[in-house]
Amino acid sequence: MPRFPLLIFALLPGLALAQISAAQTIEFNRDIRPIFSDRCYTCHGPSSTTRRSPLRFDTEEGAKQKLANHFAIAPGKPAESELLKRVTAGNSPLRMPPVSSGPALTDHETDLLRRWIEQGAVWEKHWSFIPPKSLAAPTVSEPSWVRNPIDAFILARLDKEGIKHSPAAPRETLLRRVTLDLTGLPPTPAELDAFLADNTPNAYEKVVDRLLASPRYGERMAMRWLDAARYADTNGYQTDAERYMWRWRDWVIEAFNRNMPYDRFTVEQLAGDLLPNPTLDQRIATGVNRNHRGNGEGGIVPEEYAVEYVIDRVDTTSTVFLGLTAGCARCHDHKYDPIAQKEYYQLYAFFNNLPERGNAQKYGNSPPFIAAPTPPQQTFLKDFDARIATAKANFDKLESAISAGLKAWKPVRGSQWFTARNMMNQWSADSTVFDGTHLRDLGNNANFSFQDPFTLSLRVNAANPDGALITRAKDEPEGAGYSLVLANGKLQANLVLRWLDDAIRVETTTDLSLNQWHHVALTWDGSRYASGVTIYVDGVPQPLKFNLDYMNQDFRQAKEPLRLGAGLGTRFRGQLDEVRIYRNALPASEIQLLAVSDTLDSLPVTSEKLRRAYLDQDAPTNIQVAWKTWLGLTEDRAKFAADLPTVMVMEELPVPRDAFLLQRGSYERPGQKVTRDVPAALPPLPADAPRNRLGFAKWLTDPKNPLPARVAVNRFWQMYFGTGIVKTVEDFGSQGEWPSHPELLDWLATEFIRTNWDVKALQKTIVMSATYRQIAKSTPEAVEKDPTNRLLSHVPRFRLPAEMVRDQALLAAGLLVEKLGGPSVKPYQPAGLWKELSGGEDYPQDHGESLYRRSMYTYWKRAAPPPMMANFDAAGREACMVRENRTNTPLQALDLMNDVTFVEAARRVAERMMQEAPPADRLAYGFRLVTSRRPTTAETGLLTNALRYNLDRFQTDPTAATKLLQQGESPRAPKLNSSELAAYATVASLILNLDEAVTRQ
Amino acid sequence: MILNRRKLLQTAAGTAAFANLLRGDDAEGILTAPHFKPTAKRVIYLFQSGAPSQLDLFDHKPLLEKLRAKDLPDSVRQGQRLTGMTATQTAFPVAPSLFQFAQHGNSGAFVSDLMPYTSKMVDDLCFIRSMNTEQINHDPAITFCQTGFQLAGRPSIGSWLAYGLGSENKELPAFVVMISQGSGNLSDQPLYDRLWGSGFLPSRYQGVKFRAATDPVLYLSNPPGIDGTTRRRYLDDLGALNTINQREFNDPEIAARTAQYEMAFRMQTSVPELTDLSKEPESTFDLYGPDARRPGTFAANCLLARRLAERGVRFIQLFHRGWDQHTNLPKQIRGQAKDTDQASAALVQDLKQRGLLDDTLVVWGGEFGRTVYSQGKLTADDYGRDHHPRCFTIWMTGGGVKRGLIHGETDDFSYNITRDPVDIHDLHATILRTLGIDHTKLTFKFSGRHFRLTDVKGRIVNEVLNTA
Repeated sequence: MPRFPLLIFALLPGLALAQISAAQTIEFNRDIRPIFSDRCYTCHGPSSTTRRSPLRFDTEEGAKQKLANHFAIAPGKPAESELLKRVTAGNSPLRMPPVSSGPALTDHETDLLRRWIEQGAVWEKHWSFIPPKSLAAPTVSEPSWVRNPIDAFILARLDKEGIKHSPAAPRETLLRRVTLDLTGLPPTPAELDAFLADNTPNAYEKVVDRLLASPRYGERMAMRWLDAARYADTNGYQTDAERYMWRWRDWVIEAFNRNMPYDRFTVEQLAGDLLPNPTLDQRIATGVNRNHRGNGEGGIVPEEYAVEYVIDRVDTTSTVFLGLTAGCARCHDHKYDPIAQKEYYQLYAFFNNLPERGNAQKYGNSPPFIAAPTPPQQTFLKDFDARIATAKANFDKLESAISAGLKAWKPVRGSQWFTARNMMNQWSADSTVFDGTHLRDLGNNANFSFQDPFTLSLRVNAANPDGALITRAKDEPEGAGYSLVLANGKLQANLVLRWLDDAIRVETTTDLSLNQWHHVALTWDGSRYASGVTIYVDGVPQPLKFNLDYMNQDFRQAKEPLRLGAGLGTRFRGQLDEVRIYRNALPASEIQLLAVSDTLDSLPVTSEKLRRAYLDQDAPTNIQVAWKTWLGLTEDRAKFAADLPTVMVMEELPVPRDAFLLQRGSYERPGQKVTRDVPAALPPLPADAPRNRLGFAKWLTDPKNPLPARVAVNRFWQMYFGTGIVKTVEDFGSQGEWPSHPELLDWLATEFIRTNWDVKALQKTIVMSATYRQIAKSTPEAVEKDPTNRLLSHVPRFRLPAEMVRDQALLAAGLLVEKLGGPSVKPYQPAGLWKELSGGEDYPQDHGESLYRRSMYTYWKRAAPPPMMANFDAAGREACMVRENRTNTPLQALDLMNDVTFVEAARRVAERMMQEAPPADRLAYGFRLVTSRRPTTAETGLLTNALRYNLDRFQTDPTAATKLLQQGESPRAPKLNSSELAAYATVASLILNLDEAVTRQ
Repeated sequence: MILNRRKLLQTAAGTAAFANLLRGDDAEGILTAPHFKPTAKRVIYLFQSGAPSQLDLFDHKPLLEKLRAKDLPDSVRQGQRLTGMTATQTAFPVAPSLFQFAQHGNSGAFVSDLMPYTSKMVDDLCFIRSMNTEQINHDPAITFCQTGFQLAGRPSIGSWLAYGLGSENKELPAFVVMISQGSGNLSDQPLYDRLWGSGFLPSRYQGVKFRAATDPVLYLSNPPGIDGTTRRRYLDDLGALNTINQREFNDPEIAARTAQYEMAFRMQTSVPELTDLSKEPESTFDLYGPDARRPGTFAANCLLARRLAERGVRFIQLFHRGWDQHTNLPKQIRGQAKDTDQASAALVQDLKQRGLLDDTLVVWGGEFGRTVYSQGKLTADDYGRDHHPRCFTIWMTGGGVKRGLIHGETDDFSYNITRDPVDIHDLHATILRTLGIDHTKLTFKFSGRHFRLTDVKGRIVNEVLNTA
């Protein structure tokens, strides 16, 4: 049987949307530009490099100019228009487009061109570059149906095509639809009952207001923003290790929930850091421009990827806010839209000015990033600070007692003191003389990883300008590991996995004097940057020369011992003593104390070392307690702060980085230098706007900019109707599709701006419309005239997005754990999926609550996305994606039937059926939990038979029942009969697999 | 499935594709008539991930022995970009291969003693010694090989084929992927789901990974306690319930969903039947080697590839990891060669015996080559090789490819190509050509642009095809 008996009409050019009768006026933008763009622009378009002749169809002058002895387009005179001759030239060499570059224009297309020329060949600027006009709602055949202007625009168009609108959906259907659309979850039975019982005229509006106020709303709205912003939990290239951007993700949820106006939402994400006195939240917001992938593969050419990151920002920004495929202009002038290659790089110049490197960190966040404490952590920090202040005050009160005590203190003659806080080990070498062959093996100590801060402190009396002091590294030249060595008289610190390309190697700029005792210390803060290394000589930090500053992977050498006086194949000559290892990077003040060699009894009373020794050893208990309390709190705070979540952000370099046009888009071929600017086809940057990201963001949100409001409302529209008013939500250029309702799009856009970009108000306007409230059933007449339902004579049915398929099952099962935000979680996933790709660690699945969080919190590994999400068409998160994709595959069927997530959910739905409903109502109760309605008699009959069949089977084979009920980590209800529960679980699975269950209708 | 009209028109086959739509047949591709007469119906791509050293396997360079440990002349290197791993190396010592080369067959092709089985079938193969790529790092290079573009986001070869040609089998996906870990370098380069992803094509064209696990396809098995009979009854009930809704809403998607459940059910039988090797005769395992009994090995995957080819699966993509020999090459590459040599040869011979080689294109190769100079220390019995994009060797056979041919040539250092270069786009264009597709005409409009596998490039290497 033909599946689409009438689809042929949709396939004939122009009929679906542009059913144009002979008498109708041809509209250039609707009817003609798409032909020019798709069929002619490649050689006769905006790109100067690919243009084959002066004739061009992207500008009116170009198209209507006099050519050698004719006109391509002679307005009003089809017979004199060369264009028509050429496009109808059959297979002749004169035909345009040439046979080699594609098929001939269809009869319909040539007919449109002819009539357009007959009618005077009226030219229009591309529609989306003309600012939207707020039009009065049109008059319609049935004014009583109109609830708000949306309906007038929709109905006017239906009237024109002679199609009827549909009646309102049943209340249960409507409640399910709006609850899914606004919160991503279906209504509960109680919510259904309450709505069905509410006979007040504004019952529906009350529901809408309730849903918009729910925290679930922010989560739902964030889902698609995360796709657009290519949010993920890993870096995306090669090793694809973890990064931490969830604080940005939570910012998005919060912004939607607080109903941040869309213009502010835009400005804060693009340029929050450039606002006056930016708040932490405003800086976190800028993470959107750091969500792109980052390459930490060894051996890459950093310049190449530094360019890719900027390109990604420009392309994402232009897709998300401008609906333009600017990326086409990376290598050459845009072939369809007025974006010259130079203009592309002028946009690029807004986004290349941050202190980042092309070689990203393989593990974790790459600079610039900031600590981004959560609100509870911020409170905790404040509390910490208060406690530290109190502890300090308590200690300060004891100052006179301390001074008095110090004056009276007589330390034992020859006694020493050094700080023992955080010390891991110490060795004295007595007077061992290292003779250049000797080494001292200090065993398995100081086994630091690259992210561990540490301090090495020792006294050195060198007889020779070369030789290792202390190392935990391979004992060979350029050996991997960490080392502090003397090389050519200089002190060198080497933190090395690969000497040439994965290491921090620094050295002092002056020689360490020989045959003389010095105190030498190395501190490492675990930051993975050379700036995190300090070398001290006699307590003074030394200027350092960076030999290499690129640390990507761990230098730890677990199999090597800690060696004194040896390493990297060298041996020290001289004496070494007082070796101390600390598990933190001691501050300069502490290193200074370690450098003091005098014994306590020889120190003046003003000496800090003496004071510290007193506080540590000899002061009365109350003083020692006050001192250690203060110190301990300070250290605890530092530890707490070091573990705070971080997020990558945008920052501006003080001196702007130059930007160049990159010929053919290649980092290796910089051409002319460019300055920041916006494409000439769009309004100019406001005169008073700074020429940076902030100015750019303000330009985007300037009501004079024709694109951003349209692009935004269109994407929201897509959420409710499955398709945008402009179907190509990512492309409002001349290759994009003509809007199904241009006036409606403009009304929505202007209304959005008029209401100060009120996002919730816009959602409310859409869902309050009669259009949205129609049933989701087509009529044969509607299908005949508008087979793809672009005119919305009824509401489209479409499969739920991946997140909602799972979240709905968890909610119906009573398993859903609702908690806003936080680090991503790792629910069930078949074993081995990570390991078979990379051979390394497999997916470490979580347990408990983390199994049941909303799907938007599922850990997104770019190399191996969550399989259920991938099966259900979730966006890939590699690059910006704004179009919603839906396919229908057998893998989805297997997933919904057999994935433990859904097997467990079915069992839990079954438990609810048996525990929460009287026996006669169980099937209907379960059916309603999932579909939000009661089954019909026919459906009840089928479900009852299915239950009977399964009951019989599981009673015959109770082991099968037990096995089925063991699936999933949540405990089963122990008191329920296994066979019965298994039978209900099977029916519950059936319900979860219904087309209706996974469909928004 | 709603197709937009431009997508149909751009194929110049709108009417015919429309006919498919009417058949309601999702297994059909967008092309209804080939652009050329096809010489292959399906492809088996034995991808060697990590980049095998052409210098130690196929590209014999006898002069190197004389230059052993000497610095690579600048005249050869020509300032070409190197990876950050060796760019700052102070010397680039020439490292001749430790392995013995000999000429084989009538074609006289050189193959090293690492590949004794491959050596015996050189007259069945077409070697392309002049492959080259733009990318010097694994991630972008593999992505480039599989999708025609170095950054993530484009459809993979198999997705393009599934989109263009559909499936010949109603019970198996059109595009199947299998992965094995080599014994050479255990911590070798990772792979990514995107390498068989559908990019901007609808996700039903993505490759389906067959795994050496309880479930060869994710979620294939019924949960414990649900047997086939129960599942059949379940699907009948599901179909009946969906039909009620179908009558109510008159939405063809509902019937389509029910049909996908039926396809899923068929896969539950056809996939285990496919992966069950117990009925293969002893002679099969003699041919493929003992590894073929161990699920998840390259040999087992080669055997499965033959079984998939027999069943008409369009694109069978194997990935064998472990070829990234930066250091310790002589030892590691022995392991890799042992993993792949016998099974690759067995697959070709097996296809040949069964008459399948004539319409199956087999491709063997990695993402780039390796340097003639040693990365790290060169010793008498040890060296490493860094990434080398400027030349590498692959082989192809079957499906219209000339056999016993050596195409392309490199200089004495296997550093630069001296004759008949073939780049990745050319390879893609050629693969599509064997399947009857003009690479410039299989396109998909996304973000305002008509994308194709070969981007804006690609030249069919007619010299290696019988059709030329």
